[in-house]
Amino acid sequence: MDERIAALREALYALDGPGAVALTRELIDGGVGPQEVLQQGLAEAMLEIGRRWNAGDVFLPEVVAAAEIFKQCNDIVEPALIEAGGQTLGHTVLMATVKGDLHDLGKNMVGAMLKTAGFRVHDLGKDVATEAIVEAVREMEPTIVGLSSLLTTTVPEQRGVIEALEAAGLRGAVKVMVGGAPVTEDWAAQIGADGYAPNAPEAVKLALRLAGSERPEM
Amino acid sequence: MTVRHTADVARTATEPTRCVDGLPLRHLDVLPEATLERIHAATLRVLDRTGIEVRSDAMIRRLAAAGAQGDIEAGRVTFPPALVEEALALAPHALLLAGRHPGCDLELDGTHGYLSVDGNAAEILDLATGERRPSTKADLAQISRVADALPQIGFLWQGVAARDTPLASQPLHELQAQYANTTKHVQLMTAALPDQARGAVEIATIVAGGEAELRARPVLSSFQTSLSPLTYDGPPLEAAAIYAEAGVPAGFVAMPISCATAPATRAAALVQSNAEILAGIVALELLVPGAPTFYGACGTVMDLRTGAASCGGPEDLLFQMAGAQLARRYCLPSNIGTFATGAKSPDWQAGVENGLSIVASWLGGADMLCGAGLLYGARVYSIAELLLDAEIFSLVRSMTEGVADADEDLALEVIEAVGPGGHYLAQPHTLRHMREQWQPRFFGRDAWEDWESAGRPQPPDRARERAIAILAEHRPTPLQDGAEDAILGVIETYERHTEGAA
Repeated sequence: MDERIAALREALYALDGPGAVALTRELIDGGVGPQEVLQQGLAEAMLEIGRRWNAGDVFLPEVVAAAEIFKQCNDIVEPALIEAGGQTLGHTVLMATVKGDLHDLGKNMVGAMLKTAGFRVHDLGKDVATEAIVEAVREMEPTIVGLSSLLTTTVPEQRGVIEALEAAGLRGAVKVMVGGAPVTEDWAAQIGADGYAPNAPEAVKLALRLAGSERPEM
Repeated sequence: MTVRHTADVARTATEPTRCVDGLPLRHLDVLPEATLERIHAATLRVLDRTGIEVRSDAMIRRLAAAGAQGDIEAGRVTFPPALVEEALALAPHALLLAGRHPGCDLELDGTHGYLSVDGNAAEILDLATGERRPSTKADLAQISRVADALPQIGFLWQGVAARDTPLASQPLHELQAQYANTTKHVQLMTAALPDQARGAVEIATIVAGGEAELRARPVLSSFQTSLSPLTYDGPPLEAAAIYAEAGVPAGFVAMPISCATAPATRAAALVQSNAEILAGIVALELLVPGAPTFYGACGTVMDLRTGAASCGGPEDLLFQMAGAQLARRYCLPSNIGTFATGAKSPDWQAGVENGLSIVASWLGGADMLCGAGLLYGARVYSIAELLLDAEIFSLVRSMTEGVADADEDLALEVIEAVGPGGHYLAQPHTLRHMREQWQPRFFGRDAWEDWESAGRPQPPDRARERAIAILAEHRPTPLQDGAEDAILGVIETYERHTEGAA
């Protein structure tokens, strides 16, 4: 294996964004397979960061910082990957904070932690209209859509999204997981969601279960 | 803030790695200046008029020869105010409590407060069974080993009594168990007889590596307690002088109980407590001028229904703050009874009492805070409670560090860069500083679901688990070659000596 791939992983552990981006560009421009850069470099580094988080050696802000660097690097790798006809990361998770809610911290944490489990995370942002979520599900065909809301006043929007997915005939094609401070297991069942997680690490376990790919190392 | 001058302390050339955390002290005077001075004046009057009972004719003669007024027939010693002031002026204002390792040294100069292992319980909560049972030397060794691993613990009292050893040599066995299991300073609370003091000094001399070494770096300190009201037995005063002559700090601690062994009112209880402590210190300075000593206050009230010491309540908190303030009034290092909840398990009562108690001692400016691990009004030791008390200490310590205000701390650029509506999660500033945040070990911050699936553990459960892990992993630095045998030799000699005498 190219030792620069090991160096790329180290750059992620060190949260050295410019270093990681430069190495990724150098690898791709130098003709190293984008699949290898993605799987053995970026994805493996995120998995390792997840393992370190589990061991208590790494904190959430560090996971989020690593995930941001991962995204910058992945933006370089993905065009090359698609051009080469290679496989992107396995399951896609679509993340959104529902309409009327500007609280996206929890959703960002979940997105970052999901990357440590090898998910391809697409973040629609905050205050996202139900129609925009449905449209994105139609276009990207994610395995899971994650809906976040922090307020008791915006929580009903989660039900609205599920109903809109049903109306669009997409409900059977995607798993829906919900979260946020006012959300409970009961609420998730009541609105017909596929699962609920109380925090980011639990969301990772839930997503792995929903995607049918429990990873023994997580 | 009053910073007392540091004594002539033997410093090492290079700063050793610290293995002990102290509380940066700030003072809040709970007694207004006028009240403080009324208590001082009343104390001088008590020492002059009432005096103290000394239960030894020989000691009364020695004190009278040194300037006090002795009345052998009445068994009384009184101290004229001028003599009290003169004797107090001889006491050093700062102390070094040395560890076996210089990184564990405690400089008691009024700038930092240190937590001890509390003592001297007769029973322990068995770590394996959770049952209360009589304590042993092996228990004391375990407590000492756990304390050695905790940076929050500055020095050690004898957590439990080594009840499976002969009574006369018990303090020596306790010292042996502790020195073999910690590199931190040991403060002996149980050696109140002259022979025991001699044996303890011999053991400390072995640990320090010689008499001069012990004098320069005392790895041992001691204290004697008054018998409230206003009484000292002869042998403890003699023992204090033996320690002091060897350079081992010899403090005095009063443990009066209002409504029983002290008057009911707060002011009078403080006067009596102050008189007892000062009488001990003045007596010691008359016997051994310049003796290193300290001011120990551990006052409480009697529970009006059961007659037991309450150990934890508003009066205790006031006595702690006032005791530390009085010690500052005399420029003496203070040793303030701090934890020792009356609760029978590490529960809500224990948390409230000990949480408030450490803040009171900190605000008072206590140099020594005693101590961690006791339940049931100091009668039962719990290693889980030791860890929980250490966690309370670490929480308060983090608070006492206050708010820094350098440019890096104000972080205006970061606030500007993130702007309204952003987040600070992945900011380099966050990554640089997040580990300064206090991290709990036993507070439950996990999700409800995780907590349920783990079997609803409470903080004491986590603490017990941690204690078992520390005992499995932590190996303290052993004593230097030959020291262990030499210490056992001292114990054997003293045991033969007491048998011969008996």
